[in-house]
Amino acid sequence: MVDANQSGCLFVGEGVILKGNFAVPDIASVSGVVEGDLSAKQVIVEASGLIRGKVVAESVDIRGEVAEQLTASRSLIIRSSGKVGGSVHYAEIEIEKGGSLHGDLHLI
Amino acid sequence: MFSKKSNDIPENSSDESQNAYSEPVTEVAGEPDQSYGYENNANRANPIKPSIISEGFEFVGTITSEGVLNISGVIKGKVTAKSVLIDSSGLVEGELFSDQVMVKGKVLGDINCQELNIGPLAEVDGSVSYDSVHIQRGGKIKGHFIKK
Repeated sequence: MVDANQSGCLFVGEGVILKGNFAVPDIASVSGVVEGDLSAKQVIVEASGLIRGKVVAESVDIRGEVAEQLTASRSLIIRSSGKVGGSVHYAEIEIEKGGSLHGDLHLI
Repeated sequence: MFSKKSNDIPENSSDESQNAYSEPVTEVAGEPDQSYGYENNANRANPIKPSIISEGFEFVGTITSEGVLNISGVIKGKVTAKSVLIDSSGLVEGELFSDQVMVKGKVLGDINCQELNIGPLAEVDGSVSYDSVHIQRGGKIKGHFIKK
């Protein structure tokens, strides 16, 4: 998960609560809570992670929870423990069995 | 049936009356063969009982089934069944109520189900209410999703 080259990456550890808007050039990995907007090349929400706000990324991988709004311009994967609510814009989607989606789906 | 007849002809060609007599015999022999074939088909269909809307078939109206429904054709209207499979050539325009739904084709309309499976080439446009969902990569889905 953690690359040797961590430049341009954001890691939010479990138990951390981050409030504000974030622009991440590369990977944003969230195990804690992010309250606010997050844009990155790739967003990974771990099982304990929660993002309450607007997420914009090329690819998004969700094992935790994303509420409000989500845009994935390349691929969106909701794993079996993943939960997504609100408005979702995607180019390619995959939901594993058990994954939860509650909201509007839009194809880009 | 025809091959039997052609075999009979050289033997009976000397006498026309015999030839005329042989014809009904071959037909009687052919009839039980056919009915046996129909019985066989019915026996095969009985244990599973899937209702099939085959490719090229267009149905407008309401379909209700306690069993399995395989759709390769087009249905415009309301579909209620225990299990529904929409094949890659299948299209449902309207409401779909089912315990289990597998979509490989196209659905334009609302889906209300327990277990939803969407294949990689599927297209869904409408409101979807589900208990458990699995979407394979590539499926094109638009609309409102509600987890029960």
